[in-house]
Amino acid sequence: MNDFPILDRKINGKELVYLDTAATSQKPQQVIDAISDYYREHNANVHRGVHTLGDESTEIYENARKKVAGFIGAVSPSEIIFTKNATDSLNIIAYGWGLKNLKKGDVVLTTVAEHNSNLLPWMFVCESTGAKMEYLELTPTGTLDLKTVESKITNRVKVVVISHASNVLGTIFPVKEISSIAGEMGAVTIIDGSQAVPHFKVNVQSIGCDFYAFSGHKMLGPMGIGVLWARKELLGKMTPLRYGGGMVLDVARDSYELAEVPGCFEGGTPDVAGAVGLASAVDYLQNYGMDNVRKHELEITQYALDKLEEVKGLKILGPENAENRTGLITFVIDGIHSHDVASVLDSEGIAVRSGMHCAMTLHKTMHLPASTRASFYIYTTKREIDKMVEVIKKAQEILGR
Amino acid sequence: MDDTLYREELMEVYKNTKNRGTLSSPSVEVLEKNPLCGDQIKLQFEIEDGVIKNAKFDASACAVSVISSAYLLDKLFGKTLEQAKKITKEELLDTLGINLTTSRVKCATLALEGLKHALEKYENTKK
Repeated sequence: MNDFPILDRKINGKELVYLDTAATSQKPQQVIDAISDYYREHNANVHRGVHTLGDESTEIYENARKKVAGFIGAVSPSEIIFTKNATDSLNIIAYGWGLKNLKKGDVVLTTVAEHNSNLLPWMFVCESTGAKMEYLELTPTGTLDLKTVESKITNRVKVVVISHASNVLGTIFPVKEISSIAGEMGAVTIIDGSQAVPHFKVNVQSIGCDFYAFSGHKMLGPMGIGVLWARKELLGKMTPLRYGGGMVLDVARDSYELAEVPGCFEGGTPDVAGAVGLASAVDYLQNYGMDNVRKHELEITQYALDKLEEVKGLKILGPENAENRTGLITFVIDGIHSHDVASVLDSEGIAVRSGMHCAMTLHKTMHLPASTRASFYIYTTKREIDKMVEVIKKAQEILGR
Repeated sequence: MDDTLYREELMEVYKNTKNRGTLSSPSVEVLEKNPLCGDQIKLQFEIEDGVIKNAKFDASACAVSVISSAYLLDKLFGKTLEQAKKITKEELLDTLGINLTTSRVKCATLALEGLKHALEKYENTKK
């Protein structure tokens, strides 16, 4: 795929094989150009002043919001808040909604597989309010049994916090069913879509959740821009996290009036170029087609699952079939630490992630010190998977005891 | 592959170091953890009259952590506690002679952190 200039780089004298998209995706030339065009041609602060550039910049920024709203099926662009990243979005929910609405005795229900970004804001809310965290356990293949969800949702559960797809196991969780079960019990559902939105079609209305968060940089966009979607009525009940310029309508000596949603949640000069880059990434993905993204990843993931299963002493975590997964595979190798696997792969130009992937609770639950993760995207090829498998075998020869 | 990290003599240390194991009656032991990657090293020391008589480590850790632990313990046999305290990060990295990326320097110095904590712990029990 020659839209991605970085993929022509040599790493340690070898062709780069980039298998770390779950951490951040590479960026196509189109996105890089959109960002530099913005700074070359349109740069001015938004929502302020009357000059032409300021107007242009505001329009570009608001168009980006419309594009993102359409991409995830929001009811209106005013349900889209631009943030720094998914972590920022999830914190805005925890501070702006959680602190206000939870109290002692309430329960925050989540899974053992959550990324720290989806877990820690709620641990903080629990510490501050006296609410309690409870966890949904997973099946041995890393899936979630809906019966487990039903049995754990009591009327004390006020919030269900879950990732749409696990960044370690790859599991796509049944968020639609969970949102419906939670809704019936009067609980609010918060979904971290960081590993979902880049990889398959997501529609927040058909899921039926209350909050949805994701990052731009994992879906071909730049770092520094993220999205928080929330139902309009919930946005109206949230307290802003950041007070300052741009988020206020009127200020007197002892009072102020907040700007309308979503502006009141975007205090300070926003990352307009980031929003432009994200909109360009959405264009790129829509041109490619989200169904084609999914199709390509299913093919690559199934191919990689089959190849990795042949490697002796290698254990794959998570669901057995590609259909139940997003485009990533995490594995452990008998007797070899994941950092060593990653280092040997790196020496051959192959980039994978090793460690706990910000999911310490999950690793502790599985009694694993660490694991290695290969993650895929539209630029991943079968030849690259072959290369990875070949070098994994080499690592076993060098390090096997 | 000419990656210096996985060269043969280091792999020999990784697989067969005599310093790996457990002591039956250590004067002090610590479990040093690297929360970032989940590595754990247990360090045990037998200390007599202020001198390190014996030392062992056991690890659930990567090759860099294991090799640096093995080399660090090699340096410690027969050293006084004062001498042991003076071993620096630079000295240990120099002994390893591996070209490490920044993220993996932490793996290489985990054992040294453990040594520091073990010596502190030992001195506190003597007070």
